[in-house]
Amino acid sequence: MVDVLRDGHWRKLPWRRLVVGDIVKVHKDSFFPADLLFLASTNQDGVCYVETSNLDGETNLKIRKALERTWDYVDEERAKEFQGEIQCEQPNNSLYTFTGNLIIGKQTLPVTPNQLLLRGCSLRNTEFIVGVAVFTGHETKVMMNAMNVPSKRSTLERRLDMLILILFSILFIMCFIDSICSGIFINRKYWYLGLTSDVEDQFNPGNRFLVACLTFLTFVTLFSPIIPISLYVSIEMIKVFQVTQFINKDVKMYHKETNTPALARTSNLNEELGQVEYIFSDKTGTLTRNLMEFFKCSIGGVIYGKGVTEIEKAAARRNGTGIEEMESPAESHEKYFNFDDDRLMRGAWRNEPNPELCKEFFRCLAVCHTVLPEGDELPEKIVYQAASPDEAALVTAAKMFGFFFFRRTPTSIRVRESHVEKIGRMQDVEYEILNVLEFNSTRKRQSVICRYPNGRLVLYCKGADSVIYERLMERHNPFKDTNRDHLEYFGAAGLRTLCLAYRDLDINAYEMWNEKFVQAKSALRDREKKLDEVAELIEKDLILIGSTAIEDKLQEGVPVCIETLAKGGIKIWVLTGDKLETAINIAYACSLMNNGMKQFIINSDTKEIRDVEDRGDALETAQVIERYVAERLNESLRQAVESEQTQTGLELALVIDGRCLMYALDPELRGTLLKLSVMCKAVVCCRVSPLQKAQVTSMIKDGAKKITLSIGDGANDVSMIQAAHIGVGISGLEGMQAVMASDFAIAQFRFLTDLLLVHGRLSYLRISKVVAYFFYKNLMFTLTQFWFNLYTGFSGQRFYDDWFQSLYNVVFTALPVIIVGIFDKDVSITNSRKYPQLYKAGIENIFFRWRILIIWAISAVYQSVILFFFPIKAIEEGKNSSGRMLGLWDAGTMAFTCVVVTVNLRLFLACNFITRWHLISIFGSILAWFIFAFFYSGFRNPLDKQGNIYQVIFVIMGTWYFWYAIVLVPVASLALDFLHEGMRRWFAPYDYHIIQEEEKIKGVERDELLLVESPRQAPEQSLELTGLHGEMSKHTGYSFDSPCFDSFFASQEGVSMSQRSYDIARRASMRVSRRQSSDLGSDSPPPGHNSLI
Amino acid sequence: MVVGVIFIPIGIAALLASRSVVEIIDEYQTACIPSNYTSNDQRVQYIQDFTTDKICTRLLTVPKYMKKPIFVYYQLENYYQNHRRYVKSRSDKQLLYGEGASLADTETCKPKQLLDDQPIIPCGLIAWSLFNDTYSFTISGNAVPVNKKGISWKSDRYHKFGNVYPENFPNNLPNNENGSLIGGSSLDLNVPLNEQEDLIVWMRTAALPTFRKLYGRIEQDLKAHTQLTAQINNNYNTYSFRGKKKLVLSTTSWLGGKNDFLGVAYITVGTVSIFLGLAFFIVQWKYPRPLGDISYLSWNQKPATS
Repeated sequence: MVDVLRDGHWRKLPWRRLVVGDIVKVHKDSFFPADLLFLASTNQDGVCYVETSNLDGETNLKIRKALERTWDYVDEERAKEFQGEIQCEQPNNSLYTFTGNLIIGKQTLPVTPNQLLLRGCSLRNTEFIVGVAVFTGHETKVMMNAMNVPSKRSTLERRLDMLILILFSILFIMCFIDSICSGIFINRKYWYLGLTSDVEDQFNPGNRFLVACLTFLTFVTLFSPIIPISLYVSIEMIKVFQVTQFINKDVKMYHKETNTPALARTSNLNEELGQVEYIFSDKTGTLTRNLMEFFKCSIGGVIYGKGVTEIEKAAARRNGTGIEEMESPAESHEKYFNFDDDRLMRGAWRNEPNPELCKEFFRCLAVCHTVLPEGDELPEKIVYQAASPDEAALVTAAKMFGFFFFRRTPTSIRVRESHVEKIGRMQDVEYEILNVLEFNSTRKRQSVICRYPNGRLVLYCKGADSVIYERLMERHNPFKDTNRDHLEYFGAAGLRTLCLAYRDLDINAYEMWNEKFVQAKSALRDREKKLDEVAELIEKDLILIGSTAIEDKLQEGVPVCIETLAKGGIKIWVLTGDKLETAINIAYACSLMNNGMKQFIINSDTKEIRDVEDRGDALETAQVIERYVAERLNESLRQAVESEQTQTGLELALVIDGRCLMYALDPELRGTLLKLSVMCKAVVCCRVSPLQKAQVTSMIKDGAKKITLSIGDGANDVSMIQAAHIGVGISGLEGMQAVMASDFAIAQFRFLTDLLLVHGRLSYLRISKVVAYFFYKNLMFTLTQFWFNLYTGFSGQRFYDDWFQSLYNVVFTALPVIIVGIFDKDVSITNSRKYPQLYKAGIENIFFRWRILIIWAISAVYQSVILFFFPIKAIEEGKNSSGRMLGLWDAGTMAFTCVVVTVNLRLFLACNFITRWHLISIFGSILAWFIFAFFYSGFRNPLDKQGNIYQVIFVIMGTWYFWYAIVLVPVASLALDFLHEGMRRWFAPYDYHIIQEEEKIKGVERDELLLVESPRQAPEQSLELTGLHGEMSKHTGYSFDSPCFDSFFASQEGVSMSQRSYDIARRASMRVSRRQSSDLGSDSPPPGHNSLI
Repeated sequence: MVVGVIFIPIGIAALLASRSVVEIIDEYQTACIPSNYTSNDQRVQYIQDFTTDKICTRLLTVPKYMKKPIFVYYQLENYYQNHRRYVKSRSDKQLLYGEGASLADTETCKPKQLLDDQPIIPCGLIAWSLFNDTYSFTISGNAVPVNKKGISWKSDRYHKFGNVYPENFPNNLPNNENGSLIGGSSLDLNVPLNEQEDLIVWMRTAALPTFRKLYGRIEQDLKAHTQLTAQINNNYNTYSFRGKKKLVLSTTSWLGGKNDFLGVAYITVGTVSIFLGLAFFIVQWKYPRPLGDISYLSWNQKPATS
């Protein structure tokens, strides 16, 4: 329901009644019902805050600003007066562009994406807004991004269709041969066939062509069992069982915290899970928890913080040294803060070698930021509104260390400091904020100049290590080198780092500089540039305090999972809406990328491109970027090929941003991109739109013909989830769109291991076995009939009774194969996890290759020959001492018995694993046949005009020959398969053969025990331990992603926002003065180009 | 190996049983036509001529001592008793019940269902084409009786053929009346079908175009080198489709007639499996691959090869 202005009043109407042009009121925290043109908000400066996590996965708030002309249409009296005309583009799927005009009276106002509130987003921190519906329903941008839900079928199933087609052709070939021959055969000389008069067309020698045609039809019905109709039913049963009993009930995939079991929403794709080669993963919410935690720090050359990151755990596991699961310090565990070191907590830092520096460190954290506090001014209750979660984490850290930032005024920051003078002593200190030198993507740092109550003038600066180190004082920085080591260590551990520094300012020097600053600030042209230049003047001769390390909290077990999957031959791509740096950082953090890799970075944020953009010519920009992308791609490909040829063993990684991707996905460059990306071990795409995610997915799916899996949690992943062969949604958190679109839903990324390596692999194994077996069983059965008809004058006579033939697939051979399809497994579950390499079999499709099928086909041909000729020999002479002769139906029944026995026993050779269910079903089926035969032979079937089988089984069972045959025929027919299996196992064993043997020898449980017995590492040693192996990372991702979080939407297409950023101080003052609830610290970007880090 | 150990004795037993069977086979379809009928067409004419008496005498030598009972078979070749049109041309209902409605239940019997609009009993091609060569045997002038009782399976006699009397059967028409309607043997109209064992045997259709059917039993031992004279009434037309006719005299073992196939097959399978078992042992001995050695896993081997 939504408030719509009808007849001058707000009426509650359901969303579906909304039409274009309606004036709509949307309240705080509710979703926009359509794409709205933003008219007015309760915030006086005409802004509102929008959460776009459903579109791009980012949880930080974006600002939208209404046109000034429409600001006052807030209440219904005014709103109903609103008269205007909107001209805009046709509905399209680009989330980040919008062009249109709003015509009010005679005034034409351009409308930009900044005035567009997209459906799928929700309103935050704003009481309500008023807007006009521009696109509704399926025309909204988010819906245009959604693709038709494709009906997914597994590759194996498609292959199965091919197989059926082949069987059809075999059928037609057989029918064709036989029908031609039947036309030739039929002749009046066979007088006993009564062909002289009153002959139906099918046997009329007068018209041989017609005979052939009609007999063809007879043969089609005769040989029709070759088409395994029951196969589809059986497979469906197996799959449903797998889904409901195995996947949905797996404890290993049950997430206790959220009470979410895995959920397979379709049963079509189980076996596809066993063949995935590419995984496309969303970042936020999938790989990471979207939670920044203050994790470690280095102050004055000393590392604090005991935590062990996921990546370190993975590394340690790789080295075989298990680390005891670190219990996170629960008592101090607060959001954004996961740090425990008694040396710093509760004032203990005073006893550290460098208490002064510690103090500076904490003050820097508490002062140098753009965070707004909200709520009660108590440490427990306060909520920090920060543009980026990193900032919130830092301020929270300061709070935890006893420097509680609780109030911001336009000119000051108040910090409640504990333990400064003396343990236990608290005092409120007010720092006067003189200047804020803001963050932007070129500066990569942020500074605050503040005055202490005692008059001390300090510049606090935090930023990326590279920029801070450039600006350090030559001398007086004794920790420079140790700190760099620490930064590298943090980087290797997957942490996001920031360097903190300060500089004491001389009051005179400051005054001089401030003049310049004010000047620059009021400059009309190139203000941005000038401000940067002025900042340079004062941000120098810094003294390093230390560095912080923030963990972009990964989901549990992600690095291990990724590593395991990588071992299984699966390539993982990260597709994220995040910025380049963040994306790379995460790629490092989850051990997707490492320093040994050669990276190709294709990024549109180069100086060249920016310059072109500044000139403002969109066409030229596009051309330049296109040329640039083409160049980079070709160059990278050349290098990649080179390194492949030289066999340096260098692993390759590709990083590309959304804007470049847009050009790279052009048909011309697509091939190059594909070639390059297939060669890369890791691919990271950042700043990509939902549609691009889908495009990348389909590029691999269609271009490389590989099986893809997409995993994500948000609405922005829906298209990708639908585009991939398999879509996996992360369930258990808020937001169900991804889950609704997915084929499988799991609670945690790490459950992918089980889903793929255990369930997927087994399903694939089972289904391929079942299909191959069906193929064999039907082919073999039909071939016996084919051989028989070579001896019947190609007349289409049945070898087996009708009932035998119809029940063959349904009763006598149905159950065991289903049991195998459900229970068969090659190696134990433990070993499935232990040897992820086994998964490669699925990727290479070695269990359902044509070669495998040909082997089955050969076996079918061989067996059919045996199964036909052995029983038929029975006819040649008397078969017991009474000298009586057996007839057609005796031979057929005998052959059928042998077929049933053989086909069922064949399954023993095919399955790896025999439970009592196998025994029951296999012998049950054979028994069922005998029981049926007894009944069928024992009673005259009133429906059956021809009592062909009547009494037959008793006759043949009275002969020795029958018993001879029933022992010999299955053995002789299975001998070839047995031989093949034996040879295979002996001379060219599959990997699973070896592991099976290992299991037999060692037993399965021992493996698990080994894990427990491995020496435990004391937690204190963990740092040294990881230090040992850890090649220091040259990559030290800085965590300052941009407090001036510009709108992702706007930046994408280079559409600028007209709104000039406010000083943080002014924003704060506004808040204070108006007592509005608008208190988001996020600021808008500079005009002109936007940062695409 | 195990298979081999079990199979070879079974095979030997089967082979011995088969070898103990003594068999005399005499192909007579050419010899029983006067030598002046040279071409096939002439032979067909000869066989279709109802007026001539087509008795023919064949001299058979008993190769080995033949213990009673000695089974007399006729063997036809290139005769498609399993042709679809032929197989279905019968009415089991009529044969068993023969009363009321089922008597006329000749729908499946095409094209031999009606004669002069009256249902044929037994109807159908199979019955109509009943084999009509007859055999009798003498040893130096003394008749050797052929017992024709019990040549059919009991289940057929009791469960498939009822107390039904032949009626309106085309083969019983006088020869000169309408020769073209006559196929094979006529039936004794006064004997119910379940006692006409030749018909019962014939109607258990054979599975292959070469088949034997039991004709009767000679209930006396035949000494080796005995000269057995067979008098054959050569009536049945196999000439038009160049089918062979053979007279077979055979003893049986517990396993049935003479057939080395089963024994040979058993011995072959047994030998092959023993051989393969040995081969595997040798291979393992010469090129041992430790079971369950994970260094043989493909991904563990790759570094070694590159």
